[in-house]
Amino acid sequence: MKKIAVYGKGGIGKSTTVSNLAVALAEKGYKVMQIGCDPKADSTIQLRHGKEIPTVLEMFQQKKQNLKLEDMVTVGYAGVVCVEAGGPTPGLGCAGRGIITALEKLEETGAYETYQPDIVLYDVLGDVVCGGFSMPMRKGYADQVFIITSGENMAIHAGANIAMAVENFKNRGYASLGGIILNKREVPREEEKVQELAGDFHTQIIGRLDRSELVMEAEEAGKVLLEYAPDSQMAEEYRKLADQILAVCGEEKPC
Amino acid sequence: MRQSYRIIPIYTADVSGVCSALYELGGMTVMHDPSGCNSTYNTHDEIRWYDQDSLIYISGLTEIDAIMGNDQKFLDDIKEAARELHPKFIALAGSPIPYMNGTDFPALAQVLEEETGIPAFAVPTNGMHDYVYGAGIALEEIAKRFTGEKTGRIQARTVNLLGVTPLDFGPVSHVEVLKENLKACGWKVLSTWAMGDEPDAFLQAGEAEVNLVVSSVGLRAAKVLEEKFGTPYVVGTPIGSYTERIAKALEEKEQISYRKDRMQGRKDRKVTLIGEPVIMESLAAGIEEKYDCRVEVLCPLEETDGLLADGDRWVHGEEEMEEALKAAEIIVADPLYKPICPKNCEFYELPHIAFSGRIYLKKLPVLGKLV
Repeated sequence: MKKIAVYGKGGIGKSTTVSNLAVALAEKGYKVMQIGCDPKADSTIQLRHGKEIPTVLEMFQQKKQNLKLEDMVTVGYAGVVCVEAGGPTPGLGCAGRGIITALEKLEETGAYETYQPDIVLYDVLGDVVCGGFSMPMRKGYADQVFIITSGENMAIHAGANIAMAVENFKNRGYASLGGIILNKREVPREEEKVQELAGDFHTQIIGRLDRSELVMEAEEAGKVLLEYAPDSQMAEEYRKLADQILAVCGEEKPC
Repeated sequence: MRQSYRIIPIYTADVSGVCSALYELGGMTVMHDPSGCNSTYNTHDEIRWYDQDSLIYISGLTEIDAIMGNDQKFLDDIKEAARELHPKFIALAGSPIPYMNGTDFPALAQVLEEETGIPAFAVPTNGMHDYVYGAGIALEEIAKRFTGEKTGRIQARTVNLLGVTPLDFGPVSHVEVLKENLKACGWKVLSTWAMGDEPDAFLQAGEAEVNLVVSSVGLRAAKVLEEKFGTPYVVGTPIGSYTERIAKALEEKEQISYRKDRMQGRKDRKVTLIGEPVIMESLAAGIEEKYDCRVEVLCPLEETDGLLADGDRWVHGEEEMEEALKAAEIIVADPLYKPICPKNCEFYELPHIAFSGRIYLKKLPVLGKLV
């Protein structure tokens, strides 16, 4: 089982990219689990065609010690196992602590043993703002962290913070930095700026995604692009990105 | 049913359980907390505090360090103390604040071990579990890491006593009685987890013929030792005349003998015991055998799975306990339970340090001599 965490600035396209990546991996025969680590609970929304699903934390709050795995797991498009950690009411509670509890509850209820995914994708909110958001990169969780960024300064700044956190946690046995995914926004010197970020952290841009209207159309239709426009050029880009991530993770073809 | 406590106290918390279990083992135990956890521990929970040295530390976590996630200060302080004191191991125990912060203790233990060369481990306490959980995991870690390799050598008719802390058994002189009881039945104690022994006694624990889990604190360690050395375990406390039955269970490797021994189906006058499951069940079996009197056990602690006999039960919270005691005629429990017992019941005091701390220390019964 390979576990991968994807981080990046809010609104940079993490959930869209991760969901399409999940489907691209599923198309290749892998069993994929996507875990949204964001109180908004919308990481897997395109995989479930907009259908609401209960979050881990909602279910834990309701069922306490009687929490069961089936309460919080939904199988979405292409057989991708969808989970949303959820979180507190905006402005209350502690979202970071929520991520820790949600991931612990998944483990305690046997999520990984029951579904036996080949690949687990953690789609993590924003940058690493507190201890809770480092949970997906802790020992026993992700093996590798990928950062999504565009050439926009704020996105690069957030990416640098994430890379710095990975670097700082090296002696704790946490995940290593797998590379950077460039989600283009067509800003000036985009490639150059992101290359510079990669250079600063001794890593590489492992995948590039062009800006495409089709991605937004698919989102409007409540679907992942690989379902909405499976034969498009953009779909091929996601499939290529899946290959590149598999190569970095040293994953072999599924049986 | 509400879970608030208005009249009776709660049991000793998990953090104190860790400190108590590791107190005599030559390691350094660090509670990561502003300071409340250590004062509760040394004021109420630890009867050895003034007579016996131990490397029990509090980190003195401050508001700003908690907010800023200043793990480095915690690590630096521990490293500095460890360099001076050369502990055999470093154990980290969390409290509510680092729990809410999500402090990654296993990772910090890894860093400490790499940087000091001293074995380090974390016990996932948060101040919200009871002592059995904390002490149990602490001893489980000792079983995993400090018992040496399997030699294949077995010393016949020897046992390790697992789950022995003052929180349940009182001073070491009381623990000696348990050993004497077993000795009288032909069983020698190799090591006692964890009081009254040389710290290196653990190294020969793998040579015991069988492990005896004398309280629920020892169950996790027993499972590790079974896996690591193939040593079977028996659950039960060698209390007075009931020791003979325990000795038979040791010979036959009968895992939880008291569950079979307990009276079934009788509805006559009954005695109610409240407390830790293994000790109370053993005591109940001893009372039933000696006095032909039906006993019921009410257990207010978390870890009771598989440890209670049929008809006995886990009771959660003061209200539920009060309700459960309504029909009780004879109650044997810590004196602090008395205010929630029916007025017309006969109440016999059985002080339990994990419940009332040092208050009744002078009246503490020698469990090994009770029946």
